[in-house]
Amino acid sequence: MKISIVIAGWNEEKNIGQVVDNIKQHFSEAEIIVANDGSTDRTEEIAKEHGALVISHKINRGQGAALQTGNSLAIKHGADIIVHFDGDNQFLVKEIDEVIEPIIKNEADIVFGSRFLGKDSSMPKAKRKIIMPLARLFNKIFFGIKLSDPQCGFRAMTKETAQKIIIKNDRMAHCTEIMAKAHKYKLKIKEVPITVIYHEFGQSMSGGFSIIKDFIYKKLSN
Amino acid sequence: MPQQIIALALIIFFLIKLFRQRKKNIISINEFRFWLGFWSISAIAIVFIKELDKLLKALGFSASGINFLAYTSILILFYLVFRLRLKIVKIEKDITKIIRDEALNK
Repeated sequence: MKISIVIAGWNEEKNIGQVVDNIKQHFSEAEIIVANDGSTDRTEEIAKEHGALVISHKINRGQGAALQTGNSLAIKHGADIIVHFDGDNQFLVKEIDEVIEPIIKNEADIVFGSRFLGKDSSMPKAKRKIIMPLARLFNKIFFGIKLSDPQCGFRAMTKETAQKIIIKNDRMAHCTEIMAKAHKYKLKIKEVPITVIYHEFGQSMSGGFSIIKDFIYKKLSN
Repeated sequence: MPQQIIALALIIFFLIKLFRQRKKNIISINEFRFWLGFWSISAIAIVFIKELDKLLKALGFSASGINFLAYTSILILFYLVFRLRLKIVKIEKDITKIIRDEALNK
C-alpha cells in the first residue's frame, strides 16, 4: 500500500527539513511530497536536500491550492493513501499511524484529526473557547458537518476519496470544503484524536470571517 | 439649472471617453452597450429631472428626483462591485489552474 504524505509549505525553511526528516525516520517507504506554494525563502531547496519530492507553485496560491496540487501529484504517482500534514512542525509524525489506521482497516474513506478528542493540545484559550465553537456551529448549520474539529489540517484519505474531493477553495476555507464534500458524497468518515503543538496562534477571528467570505464568493461564482 | 449643465457636461465627457475606448477596441461591444445605455438613461433623467420629481410624487415617494438618482446610483455601484468581486474570484480560479498545470507538467 503506497502512502503519500503531502505537506503544503509556504516559507517554511525553518521547519521543513526537520519535518521531512522525522517523517522519513518513521515512514521510510512513504513518498513525501512538499507542495511548495510560491515560497520566497529556501523551502524548496531545503525540502529537496532532505529527500522530499518537491512540486512548486510559481506564485503563492494558498494552502488549499497547494494541497490540491499535492493530491494531484500523489494520485499521478499511484498513491493508495494520501496524508495531509503541516510543514510547521505542529503535528506529531508518530500519530500518522493512528490517522491512517482506519483506512487500512477499511473502516473509513477519510479520517480527520481532531484536537478535541482527549489528547493534549496547547491550543490558545480564545481559540478553544470562542473561535472553534463558532466555526463548529457554522459548519453544522451550513454544511451539516458534525465533526468535533472544524479546522484541522491533519487528515488522511484514500486515493478514490482524493479523486472525488477536488479542493476548490484555494485558501483556508479548504478545511470546511473537504469536510462538507466528504458528507455530501456520503463517504465513511472517522475522527481520531491528535496532538497539536502551537508555535503561533494560527487562524484568528478575522481569518474565520475571511473563510466565510471565501465560501460565499466561491459558491456564487460557480 | 447649473447643476444639470455640470452633470450633462460630465456625462458627455464620459461618453466621449467611452466611444474612444470602443474605437481602440479596449472594451467589448457588450460592455460598450451597457455603459452607453447607462449614461444615456442618466442624461435623460437629468434633462427631465422636474418630470421625474412629479412622477416620484405621483408614485407616493417622498424623495426628490435628484435624491432618487443618487440612491439608484449607489445601488448600481454596489451591484457592479459585487459583479467585479465575482469576476476576480473567477480570475483567481483560472490563475490557480494555470499555476497547478505548470507545476504538474514540469
